[in-house]
This record gives sequence, C-alpha cells and structure tokens, in this order.
Amino acid sequence: MKILFRLLLLAVVVAAGVWLWTILFPGPEKVIRQRLAEIARLASFSANENPLAALGGAQKLAGFCSPDLQVKLAAPANIEHAFESREEIAQFDLAARAAVGGTLKVEFVDVLLTLAPDKQSAAADLTARMQPAGGELNVQEIKLTLKKVDGQWLVTRAETVRTFN
Amino acid sequence: MRALLIGRNPKLTMIRIVALVAGCGVVFTLVLWPIRVTGISMLPTYPNRSLNLVNRLAYIFHEPQRGDVVSIRLTGPHGMFMKRIIGLPGETVAFQNGRVLINGEILDEPYEKYSCDWNSPPVTLAADEYYFVGDNRSMAIEDHEHGVKKRIYIVGKVLL
Repeated sequence: MKILFRLLLLAVVVAAGVWLWTILFPGPEKVIRQRLAEIARLASFSANENPLAALGGAQKLAGFCSPDLQVKLAAPANIEHAFESREEIAQFDLAARAAVGGTLKVEFVDVLLTLAPDKQSAAADLTARMQPAGGELNVQEIKLTLKKVDGQWLVTRAETVRTFN
Repeated sequence: MRALLIGRNPKLTMIRIVALVAGCGVVFTLVLWPIRVTGISMLPTYPNRSLNLVNRLAYIFHEPQRGDVVSIRLTGPHGMFMKRIIGLPGETVAFQNGRVLINGEILDEPYEKYSCDWNSPPVTLAADEYYFVGDNRSMAIEDHEHGVKKRIYIVGKVLL
C-alpha cells in the first residue's frame, strides 16, 4: 500500500513537472500561436482609441515584423497593397484605423502551422476574421512566413490568398 | 406540478434529457453545422444575416451537382463562403453579356433574379475542380468573389 502511494505521488510529481516545463519553456509552435494571437489583438482597435495609443499599437505591430519583410495584400476590386518595411506597415495600420473610423475586431482562426526541420522558420496558413462594429464580417485567407531572429519569431512575409482562382 | 415538470419517473426523464442533449451535440457537431450568412452575394435567395445549416454528409454517396448551394471553407471551418455551383469538373465555364456559358451553351438559371453584364474568358475545370458563384450578379464582377476551387474545400450542402 505504501509503495503504491509512493508510486502515485511520483506520477503526480512527474506530471506536474512536465506541465510546469511546458508553461515555462513552451515549444516553438505554442510561441508562434501566442505571437499570432498578439498580432491579431494589435491589429484590432476600438472607436474611442486615443491617437497616442493608436500610434503605439501601430509601432508595436510593426515590431512583430522583420526589417526585411514583404507584405502583399489584395482586396476586392483588384486593389493591391505592397509593403517592404516596418514603417510602411505602421503607416498602413494607422491609415486603416482612420479609414474604418470605428471599432474593428481581428481574429486569426484555423491556423495551420508548419515548422521547418531546423525550427528556425515556420509557415502559417490562417483565416483572418475582421468584424467592424455594426458592419459585415469579412474573412480572408492569409499566408505568413515567420523567422526566428534573436530568439523572437518575426513575420518576414505575409500575403493574402485568393479564395477562388 | 412536479409530475408535469419531471415526469412520473425522474430517472427516466433524466436519461431522456441526457440522450437528447448528447444527440443534439453529435448532430450539430458532426452532421449539421449552423451558419450565419454574411453579405449580399447570395441575394435574393439567402438574405444577409440569415441563419442556415450545412449538411456535411450530403456528398457521401454522390458528388456535388450543378445548382447546389454549398459551403466552402478557407483554412478551416471558422471562415466559410456560401456559393452556388455552376460548373462541374471537366467543363468550360464563361460569362458572356451576363449569361453563363457551359461548354459554349447558355445555362438556364432560374435563381438569378438580377440581370448583369458580366464578361469573363472561358475557364476549363480540372477533374477535381468546380466553378462557384453567388446568385447576386447585380454588383460589378470585380467585387463578387467567384471562380474555381477544388472539391476538397466543399464542406457540405446548404440545407434550407
């Protein structure tokens, strides 16, 4: 009985240790998913956001991208935007906030993540759900490439995917 | 009153409730997915913000048919498009002065209520591809999401 109790206690301690390890040292996939959730949160904004907060949010969002990033966004009616620097991303984000002029909630759902064998880069296919307050929900498939730079996962490439060919 | 609420046999009532909840859970998770239509591309057949169901088992025994309204997924089930199939694998689809041409012949579309002047060059579909378009063609062709997608992206048939 005493041995059984000790074995049970050992199993609980090992399980708690493994759980704690995953919390303290999350794997790259978990880190990337958290990173993407943070990007979606930063891309969201509310109607009564003050300009300083908007500027801070745009700069923080740009900070999630690598300096040599490439972004290609295609919107309906064959409108396309391309960016190649963090500054352009921040400017576009500020312009988008002004253009929407209200609340926008962005979510990344159905994230399909593929890690490179060396675990230094990753590709993410995801669906962005964009819901303006009182407006129509928009969904857009996006392909992202991320790279680990100085211990941080940064977006190096982002492009919208055409739903229909 | 008590008998009216929980029946004469409370144990049996509880089993019925659990079975009903479990049954609904299975049906609405695996078979019928509730969806909310967002946008005007399926007008007038499906109004904006209307509710519907997608039957995920509709294409187990047969392939999608022309005229079916289906749900098409993106990277997963949390973002989907609702469109009508107008072109089947192997066919050539084109728009000419607002009419759909399948292999060069005009397609009869009783569901299309708004006239349009769309034109697009012929597209030949591969063995696993379908051509999808919404019923509302009153908007400019550039503003209307439509075109070719592979069979694997069809989630199911819209039920109602």
